[in-house]
Formats: sequence, structure tokens, C-alpha cells
Amino acid sequence: MAGAARGAEPSSTNIKEGPAVISVRFHGRGGQGAKTASRILGTAAFSEGFTAQDSPIYGAERRGAPVSAFTRIAKGPIRERGIIICPSLVVVADASLIGDPAARVIEGIDERTAVFVNSPLTGEQLHTRISLPGRLTTLDLTEVAVRELGKRSALSALLGAVAGRLVGLRSESIDHAVAQELADLGVDASIIQRNQTAARHCYEAVSLVPVETSVHRGPGPTPLRVPAYEPPTRGTARITAGPNSAIRSVSGWRTYRPVLRPDLCNGCWLCFANCPEGAITIKPDGKPAVYYPHCKGCLDCVEVCPTDAMTVERETDVTNK
Amino acid sequence: MDQKNQMMMTGNLAAAWGARLAEVDYVPAFPITPQTEIVEALSKWCGTGELNARFVTLDSEHSMMTAAGAAAATGARVFTATSSQGLLYAFEVLYTVAGWRAPLVLVNVSRALASPITLEPDHNDVLAARDSGFVQIHAETCQEVVDSILLAYRIGEDPLVCLPVLVNLDGFGLSFTREPVRLPEPEAVRDFLPPFRPAHLGFKASAPQALGTAVLGGSTYSYFRHQIHLASMNALRVHEQAATEFEQCFGRRYDVVEGYRIEDAEDVLVMSNAFASKGKAAVDAAREDGRKVGLLRLRMIRPWPADAVRRALRRRRAVAVLDQNLSPGQGGILFQEVAACLYHDPERPRGLCSFIGGLGGKNISEGEFHAVFEQTAAAGKQGQGIGPVLLYTEAEHREMEQLQFLAHDLKTGR
Repeated sequence: MAGAARGAEPSSTNIKEGPAVISVRFHGRGGQGAKTASRILGTAAFSEGFTAQDSPIYGAERRGAPVSAFTRIAKGPIRERGIIICPSLVVVADASLIGDPAARVIEGIDERTAVFVNSPLTGEQLHTRISLPGRLTTLDLTEVAVRELGKRSALSALLGAVAGRLVGLRSESIDHAVAQELADLGVDASIIQRNQTAARHCYEAVSLVPVETSVHRGPGPTPLRVPAYEPPTRGTARITAGPNSAIRSVSGWRTYRPVLRPDLCNGCWLCFANCPEGAITIKPDGKPAVYYPHCKGCLDCVEVCPTDAMTVERETDVTNK
Repeated sequence: MDQKNQMMMTGNLAAAWGARLAEVDYVPAFPITPQTEIVEALSKWCGTGELNARFVTLDSEHSMMTAAGAAAATGARVFTATSSQGLLYAFEVLYTVAGWRAPLVLVNVSRALASPITLEPDHNDVLAARDSGFVQIHAETCQEVVDSILLAYRIGEDPLVCLPVLVNLDGFGLSFTREPVRLPEPEAVRDFLPPFRPAHLGFKASAPQALGTAVLGGSTYSYFRHQIHLASMNALRVHEQAATEFEQCFGRRYDVVEGYRIEDAEDVLVMSNAFASKGKAAVDAAREDGRKVGLLRLRMIRPWPADAVRRALRRRRAVAVLDQNLSPGQGGILFQEVAACLYHDPERPRGLCSFIGGLGGKNISEGEFHAVFEQTAAAGKQGQGIGPVLLYTEAEHREMEQLQFLAHDLKTGR
């Protein structure tokens, strides 16, 4: 981790005059707060007098599906829009996204890209598990969220704080932005305060890696493709391969897994009825069983269980569940 | 950056603020992604009393546009918003209310049309409505969204125009994107935008009138439809005057087209809407590489600003029109309009190129812009046109083939 100057005085010197832009790409799962984190970073930068732009991208997915959000920060006007292909900093809320090609976490990352991963592993440990170029830094935000906020998915303020620290924004700006953005979402004042405390902790605790502004790299013209006419069997948007969602594992979506304690289960089947994925079946003995490849870790079953028989375990192997 | 009175705001919220600052009377609404945040904000403000308007949810966009037109025909100031499939569902009513000469403002948040279905933007939705009689203004930034709505009421309500106005902003690219916006002061807006007092519209039991009456035989119809055409053409000079006063009131200037680094440009790229920002960044990058290129952004699409387009594009070596739309069997829609207005100019560009890019919100990368500039320069040197060229890369096609494999060839079952 070259240049990890932990404890260095943050400043805004990363953001240069002229057309230089700091581009931050957030990756999370629906519900983890990647979009709000991008807004916290945007609001904090804006409050320090920078031009900022933030935007999320998501489809028609549900909680747990990959979400990206983008924040650009500059001294002058920002002319780029939409997705960030060559980021200065990538902030990953959920390490299991790294291996999912649909999430496009590794896109555009090279040895000069700063990469933050929410993980209990250190940067070096993570490096040995997954091939990820870039300057890696980690912090276990989920643990902080559980400890300080009592909610494992409440990561927005923590992600925003880490990103703000890495790009060189001031702690007070993050504080203000957390308050503003969470208040906009209707969050209670007491919970906002706890978010601010947790965010301050993460701001201080994250190991620094250098974040560079995006530069015009003059990639040359991209080869264009002229698609040829194909028969309607291929040229029409249709699917003939049959139901293949059954072979698509969503295990990687889980940060936590539901685990049944059969001794506490009263066989009410509420978990079975409420599972949005049909991942819970009923065994001959009337007790539920979770089919983990189809369990995305929403934990609705835990919420509805009247006897607390559905318990929660954190997924530990972040790259291969 | 001068941040006085600025705040971070999405294009959708900016659109809602435009309606709020215009102090509209009536908001008929129907939700659709990516527009819903606009009517949600207006609903909230109508509930709290921050906006003194009647907010009504309708059962479809067709009913919504009917209600909007009917309310405007009584002399109310009306705002509504939709997107994509919703705009198409409202389609017959667009032509009808234009014929009533009912000057409401409709915001369209661009989203590509089915099928296949998507949520991301291109302009086949809004351009489908180009022949309806609505004036059309297309915005590039969130600031321009709020400003254009104020200009839209001012232009649409002018007795020389009296037409409904559509203000377009791109889904995602503006709708969900926050950037700094300076909100005009309500007092200043009241000066810029006087109360709506149309001479030909109103609702009075003692003075009944019929609107949009039946005409047969064709000549009567010809006369009235031609009046709509003349009214729309009037919007060019009414826009000019409104823009001048807008600049005096608020310090920001908008013209029917916008040139970016165009003065000494050999080749010019023509774009519209939010991706024009990316086009400007590409112009900056190309200039660093020594290419003399510029960008012309089309802001008012109806009426078509033929003179302004011609003035900006004559004497260029080559012009490339980047259409974020596709008319199957023809090509780019705006390319045709640009080509038509250059035909009689003795100093028209030597090369006229048509590119189709950003369909369904597809990103246009720096490398693709580079390819556009290279092909355009070559066309200018050879004195011939090219296109329509689809912006679609080899890498993207490899992903497409992978998806085809999943869709057709993957063996399923555990």
C-alpha cells in the first residue's frame, strides 16, 4: 500500500485547478446506501466550494442487486456525465460484488486507481484472495455499522466519510453532509447523530492511499462495429434457453445469512411464505430449510420469525460463498 | 466557484421547482420512471401549501393530458410531466391541445421506447412528438431545466404563440443527477412571468364557447393547422425577446442553439440534451490534440431554428450530427433536418455525416468521440457524407454475443 500516510492532515490539495476531475465510483447492493454515499460526498465537496455532480445508476432490481453511484468533484465546470469508466477512486460497499461481472467493479481500474473495500481483511490479505490492480485500502464498515448503528446495511454515512477522507475533504464537511442527506431521507435526528459519530470514526480510521485526478489519456479512436443483419431468431430480443435463473446463484449478494435453530422453530411457515425468492422450502417434518444459492440475504425471514428461530450469521468468506 | 444561492439538485427536482416558481394552478399527474420524482415533489408541496395548486392523480397519461389541456383551456396555468411510454400513451391528446392553442407546459424525461424495454434515455420518445404543434426545448443541465420551464411559460403564453411547450430533460443523465443549481428569486420570476390572461381561453357560464370544433372539406382545416405553424414559427422571435429579458432578470443567457468553441472550428459536431456536455468534453480533448473542432447544441427543436443552424454550420469543412435516436429505415431524425436547412446554402459544409449514438442510454466513450472526429474530418477532406454510423464498439458486441449465448444456447437445469 504505497503512500499510505495514515494520520496525515487531510486537505483538498487532491483537487486541482482547470479541467482535472476527481471521479469516485461507488459499488453497493440495493439498500446499502451507495447512492446516499455518493450524495454525501457530493454535498461535502460542494460545501467546500467545489463543483460537484453525483448520480446513481440502477435498473428495475430489488434490494440486494448491484447498484453503482458516481460523484465527480472539480474546481471548474464538470462536462462529463453518467457512468465513470476511468475512476480516481472506487468505493466497494460489499466485497462479494468484486467477483460479479454484472457489477463491473473492476472496470477501468489500473495501478493508479485507489480502491476502498469494506472488508474485515486488510488490503494485503484481500490482494492475495482476489486479483485487483490499484491501490487497495480496507476497513470493516459493516462491523462499525453493527456496533454503532445496530444495522448492518446502514453504510451510507460510513462510505461517504471514507471517500471524503480519501479525496481530501474536511471532516466537518462530511459531518454537515451526513446530516443534510440523512435528514432529506427523513432519518431521525438521534440516528443522524449516531451516523455522524460512526462516520467520524471511519474518517479517522481508514488508511490513506493516494487519489489522482482523472486525466485525458488520449485513448485513440475506439474500433466501431457495424452489426450485420441477423435472422429474427437472433435479431429479436427474446430468450429461448428456458428458465435459467435456477442455475444463477445469488449467494454472493449476502452479507449475512439466515440460519435456522430447529429447536426454536414452531413450524408456522411465515418465513416460507415471506421469502421473496422462494429460497425456503418445507421439509417433511414441517420445518423450513433455506436453499442458500437462491438466498440473497434480505433477512425478511428473520424479521417475520415470531420465535427468533431464524438467526443471523455474517458471511466470512467474502469472495467465494 | 461562485456558490451564492446555489444548491445541489437533480434535474427532476429542478423541474418541480420550475413549476413551483411559475406558480402553476393545476398539476394533473401520473407516475412513470424516471419522471416520478417531479410529481412526488409537487404533490408534497401542494400538500404543505408551499405551492398553491390543485394536484390530481389521473388514471393514465391519456387522461392526464386531457385534464391538462382542459384546465389550460379554462385559463389555468398548468404543469404536467411524463416520459417515454407515457408520452406515447398521451399522444393523440398532444395534437388536440395544440389545436386548442392551450399553452401548458409538459416536461418529458427522455427514456428510450419499447421494445426491448429499458429505463435509460434516448430521444425517440420526445422526437415522436415533434409534429404535434408543441414547442420543444431540450435542456443540457439541471440549471437549464428550471430556467427553461420559466421561459416555456413566457413563450407559450405570449399572444403571438399560444401553444403548449414541451421541455425535455434526459432520464438518469439529468433526472437523477445532482449538480449545482441557482434558483431564481420568486419576486423576480413574478416580474418575468406575468399572470396568464389568455384572450381566447376561459370558462364563463354566461359566455359559452366550443373549442376544437369539427371542420370538413379541408380548407378550414388547412387554415387552422397553418395558424399553428405560424404560431410556432413566431416562437423563434418570442424566444429571442424572452431570453433577453431573462438574461436581464437572472443573468443567464439561452439561445435557440448554443455554440461551443465554434468560432474557428473546421469541423462541427451537432448534439442535443445532456450528452452534449460529454460532447463538449470531447471537443476540449480533441482541441488538446490539435483538432479544430467545435460543438453546436440544438436547444429549441420546434420551431426548428433553421437560420441559426445555417449560420452556425455554413463554411465548415465538415459537420457531424450525432442523433440520440433512430428512425428505422431512415437514420437520424435531426440529421435530416440539419441537412434540409443547409441544402440551399452556397457555402454548405463539404462533408455531412450522420452518427447514431447513446441509444437506450449507451455511454459514448472518449474513444468513440475520437472516432467521430476522425471520420468527420476524413469526410470533409473527401467532400462526401457518411452514415448513418452506429456508435457501438467491438467490445460491446463481444458482450452482446455473450448475452446471446445465455439467451439461446445455455443448457439449463441443475
